[in-house]
Amino acid sequence: MTTGGWIFMTLSISSVLLLVIYTVGKVLLTANKQ
Amino acid sequence: MAVAGSAVGLGNFLRFPGKAAENGGGAFMIPYFVALLLLGIPLCWAEWSMGRYGGRKGFNSAPGVFSVIWRHPLSKYLGALALLIPLGVYFYYIVIEAWCLGYAWQYAIGSESLMNGIDPAGYKQHFEQYTGQGSDGALFAGGISQTLIFILITFALNFYLVYRGLSGGIEKFCNIAIPVMAVCAVCVLVRVLTLGTPDPNLVDQNVVNGLGYMWNPQPEALLKPATWLAAAGQIFFTLSVGFGVIINYASYVKPKDDIALSAITASSVNEFFEVCLGGMITLPAAFIFIGATMGTVVAVGSSFSLGFAALPNVFAMMPGGQLFGFLWFFMLFLAAITSSLSMLQPVNAFLKEGLGLDKFKATALLFTVSSVGTLFVVYYSKGLSALDTIDFWAGEFCIVILALVQAIMYGWVLGTARGKAELDNGAQLRVPNFVQFVLKYVTPAYLIAILAGYLFAPSGDGKSSAFFERINDIMKPDNFVQRISILIVLGTLVMLWIMVYFAGRRWEAEGRYSKLDE
Repeated sequence: MTTGGWIFMTLSISSVLLLVIYTVGKVLLTANKQ
Repeated sequence: MAVAGSAVGLGNFLRFPGKAAENGGGAFMIPYFVALLLLGIPLCWAEWSMGRYGGRKGFNSAPGVFSVIWRHPLSKYLGALALLIPLGVYFYYIVIEAWCLGYAWQYAIGSESLMNGIDPAGYKQHFEQYTGQGSDGALFAGGISQTLIFILITFALNFYLVYRGLSGGIEKFCNIAIPVMAVCAVCVLVRVLTLGTPDPNLVDQNVVNGLGYMWNPQPEALLKPATWLAAAGQIFFTLSVGFGVIINYASYVKPKDDIALSAITASSVNEFFEVCLGGMITLPAAFIFIGATMGTVVAVGSSFSLGFAALPNVFAMMPGGQLFGFLWFFMLFLAAITSSLSMLQPVNAFLKEGLGLDKFKATALLFTVSSVGTLFVVYYSKGLSALDTIDFWAGEFCIVILALVQAIMYGWVLGTARGKAELDNGAQLRVPNFVQFVLKYVTPAYLIAILAGYLFAPSGDGKSSAFFERINDIMKPDNFVQRISILIVLGTLVMLWIMVYFAGRRWEAEGRYSKLDE
C-alpha cells in the first residue's frame, strides 16, 4: 500500500467514524431532552 | 435505528465491494466519496423534505408527491420512476437475499461445501453451482434445487410480512439484530486484518496489498465516466436515495419530527457499515484469496458475487468459523429483509392510494408482478446475466436519472426556500445553508455531467461512449437474455405509467388536485 493509500484510508475511515459519533450522539442527546 | 436498519443491507456488504472491484478498487473510492458529499447526503435531505411536504398535502406515493410539487400532468409520470426502481431492484434483490439464507443454512448444518479449509477455487465453484450460473434453467433441472426452495421461502416470507403489516415489528427486531451484526462484522474484520499472507507461495497476496487495492488512489482512472456513474449509482443504491423508498417513508413522518437529523444519522450509520466494515472485510479478503483478478468474478457473475466466493475462506481460518459463517449470512439475510420489505412499500402505497385497491388486492397484484420479474431472474441464471442487467438499468442508470429529476424538482420547482423550511421544521439539527446551494446548482450539474460523459464521451476503443459500448454489447446475438432483461424493465415502466394514468384520473375525479389550490 502506498503512503497516499494509507493517508486516504485513515482520513476516510476517521471522517466516517466522526460523522457517526456526532449524529448518533446528537440523536441520543435529543432523545434524553425529550 | 429503524431507518438505519432499512438502509443497511446487501448494498453495504456485497454490492459495494463488488462495484469497487469491478472499477479497479482505489480508482472507485474518490468518485465514491465525492458522490457521497455532493449527491448522496444533500439529496437524502431533499428527498425527506419533499416526501414530508407531499405527505402534509395528502399524498404518500411518489407520483402523488411529485404532482403536489410540480403541478403539471407529466409530473406523476416522472414519479413512476420512483416505483419502477424499488420494484425492479426487488426482482433480483430477493434472490440474493435467498442466497444469504441458503448459505446461513449450510453453515448451520455444517455443509462440507462451505467448510473445506482454504479453497478459493472450490468455494467459487460452489457459489456458481448454487446460483445456477452454468446454464439457464439450471436451478430447475433435476427437481427442485435447495436454492429454489430458499427463494420460495424468502419470497413468501416477504409477502406474508407485507400483508400482515409486520414490517414495523421486523424493524424493531433489527434494533437488536443490527448491533449484533456490527459486533459480528467487527470480529470478522479483525480476522481479515490479521490474515497476513495465508499462502507463502503467493507473497503478494497479503492483507496490506489487499488494503492497498482498495485505498491506493489512482488519479488516471478518474477520467472514466463509467466509474463516476457506478460510484454515484452505488451511493444512491446504498443510501436508498433516488430509489423511491425515502420519499414514500417520509410522507408518513409527523410535521414536527426531526427529518434533518434522521436523514444524516441513517446515512452515516449506513456509511459506517459500508466503508468501515463491508469494504474492509470483503475486498481485502477477496484480494488475498482470489488475487487482483477478482474483477473477473464480478464481471462473469454479478457485483454481489464477491462476498460469497471469498468469505468462506475467511470463516475457514477463524476459530468458531461455522458459527461466524452462520451468524454472518443470517444477519445479512435479516438486514436484507428489512430492505426488501421497504422496496415493496412504495408500489404497495401507490396501488392503494392511486388505484384504490384494498390491502388484499394491492398485495396480490404486487405479488403477481414481482413473481414474474423474479422468476425471470431465477430462470435466466447463466452467468447471472439477467440479474446483472436489471441491476445496471434499474439499480444504477435509472437511479441516477431519478436522482437528477429529484434534484431539479427540489432546487428549481419546489424551491430551496420551501425545501429548507420543510427540513428545518422540528429540526434540532440545522442543515448549513450551503447545502441548498449545492442542491440547486452543484448536484444537478454533477449528475448531468456524469450522464453526458457516460452517454457521449469516447471510451475504451476511442470511438464509442461507454453507453453505446454497452448497447453494442447487448445487441450481439449471444446476449438475448440481456435484451429481454431490458424489455422487462421497460415493460414494467409502461405498466406503471398506465396505472399512473388511471391514478391521475381518479385523483382528478376525487378533487384532490383542486384541494391543493385551496
